[in-house]
Amino acid sequence: MVKRLYDLAYGRAGDKGNIANISVIARSPEAYKEIKAKLTAERVKAHLGDLVKGRVVRYELDNIEALNFVCYEALDGGATRSLRIDPLGKSLAGALLYMEWE
Amino acid sequence: MTYRIGSAQGFYGDDVMKALPMIIGGHVDAVCFEALSELTLAILQKDKLANPKRGYTFDLRVIAQKILPEAFKRKIPLITNGGGLNPQAAAEMVRETAAGMGLNGLKIAAVSGDDVLARLPELQAAGEDLAHIETGERLADSPNQNLVTANVYLGAAPLVEALQNGADIVITGRVADPCLYLAPLVAFYGWAWDDWDKLAAGIVCGHLLECTGQVVGGNSLALVNRTNAAELPYLGYPITHVEADGSFILTKTPDTPGCVTLETVKEQLLYEVHDPASYITPDVMANFTTLRLEQTGENQVRVSGVTGRPRPDKLKLNAGRLEGFMRELIFTVGWPEAWKKVEQMKVMLGEILSRLPGIERVEYSYLGLNSLYGSVAALPDDPLEIIVRVMFTAQDQDTLKNAVRQIMTTGLSGPAGMSVSGTTVGAEPRYVIGLWPTLVGRDSVQPVVEYFDV
Repeated sequence: MVKRLYDLAYGRAGDKGNIANISVIARSPEAYKEIKAKLTAERVKAHLGDLVKGRVVRYELDNIEALNFVCYEALDGGATRSLRIDPLGKSLAGALLYMEWE
Repeated sequence: MTYRIGSAQGFYGDDVMKALPMIIGGHVDAVCFEALSELTLAILQKDKLANPKRGYTFDLRVIAQKILPEAFKRKIPLITNGGGLNPQAAAEMVRETAAGMGLNGLKIAAVSGDDVLARLPELQAAGEDLAHIETGERLADSPNQNLVTANVYLGAAPLVEALQNGADIVITGRVADPCLYLAPLVAFYGWAWDDWDKLAAGIVCGHLLECTGQVVGGNSLALVNRTNAAELPYLGYPITHVEADGSFILTKTPDTPGCVTLETVKEQLLYEVHDPASYITPDVMANFTTLRLEQTGENQVRVSGVTGRPRPDKLKLNAGRLEGFMRELIFTVGWPEAWKKVEQMKVMLGEILSRLPGIERVEYSYLGLNSLYGSVAALPDDPLEIIVRVMFTAQDQDTLKNAVRQIMTTGLSGPAGMSVSGTTVGAEPRYVIGLWPTLVGRDSVQPVVEYFDV
């Protein structure tokens, strides 16, 4: 079985205009240490590919062992003008958690 | 002593009847209903253009008929932003409904002043450049001036005023979601408007409540292996027990399905959040990185240690502009040579769409293969079936209808085995609304509170 980010974390995606945020919430303190060290904004941006046209900014929440990724130009213009089947980007959390993990 | 706030609506169309067991069971001191997404106001504008007495959410009728009598009997105030683009008309409707039910002495408050669509020229003339938050472009410099909505996110102050003046139901237009929930806390505890830590705690409380089912087991990836799906339509909506210092316990309506755990709270805490150390609201900048979560019992999570900083100088204004219309067609293509036939179909459709001058954007995706995950998804080499979704836009609906007619003339001439979904052929074009998020000076916006008595 391929190991994926989903094995270490769960999360939820939300929309504001054309900006999506994806929370990555660690399943254990050890998992948080690992994702905090390795899951950089650059890596997230590269993984999400053409889903995210703009920059990705990472925020850390040590108090709840979670990271928050804010993805700009990620919703094809936002819920009111997107042509995507998922205009709110609710599936973006799954897209990120699908990342293969060494 | 605690003050208990229930949340019974997280979007236009939510099950507002979830308020009843909270109220009848004696589990809450106030109930809030959050009805407005970024898209909702554009939908309500269509209603209001068709009838100037409309423009509010229809859920308010259910609230007035079914929930208000029970709440009024127990002196539990109801607070909602479901007034949308017409809080006064909503208040008038509620007044008539309440009078018909004999709710004598009921006081309704309508909060407006958020709708600045008609004031945009005046604001710009007064020096507000209304530059787009992301791009920095000034609104006046943008070629599309087809504005359909423009609403400022108000804070809790006018709602607090209404509650302190004895309103039994407060109906507002655009108020920042968590501020709906902050208002009864400020009204009850008398928190000062510069007591930033307490205001921020109230904002976190509101943020956790504002999406109803999402904090009690709905839309929870963490709980996917523990979810009892048959219970999902009956989730008991969330309630917070807030102390005078702002710390609170998040729980849900007793004796109902659902659960409140550290996982459900963490999932909702970061929902639609950007910088968690600076969660911007009209009343305070809330810091989520200092708070502590603690499971204190079954379906009880205690939240403490929230801190805040002074409120921003400017308020957020979101304008909506009509950009045109969109149309969807769904085709299926099967094995053999499925990819080859899909490519032929795209060339054929491209030929038709490109000779129609009004067609603007054209987007293809393959349902079940890459429509959600784009380039993250690896496409199979030789699939048994491919479902192709084609989306295209134009300024006017006739161009789209004409395009569909011309595409359908190829029904017997297209690639082998191509089929089209009949329901998509018969569908109507949908509006494309572009949002223009910007900032406006606090002094440029004056909230108005009006009262309607039964």
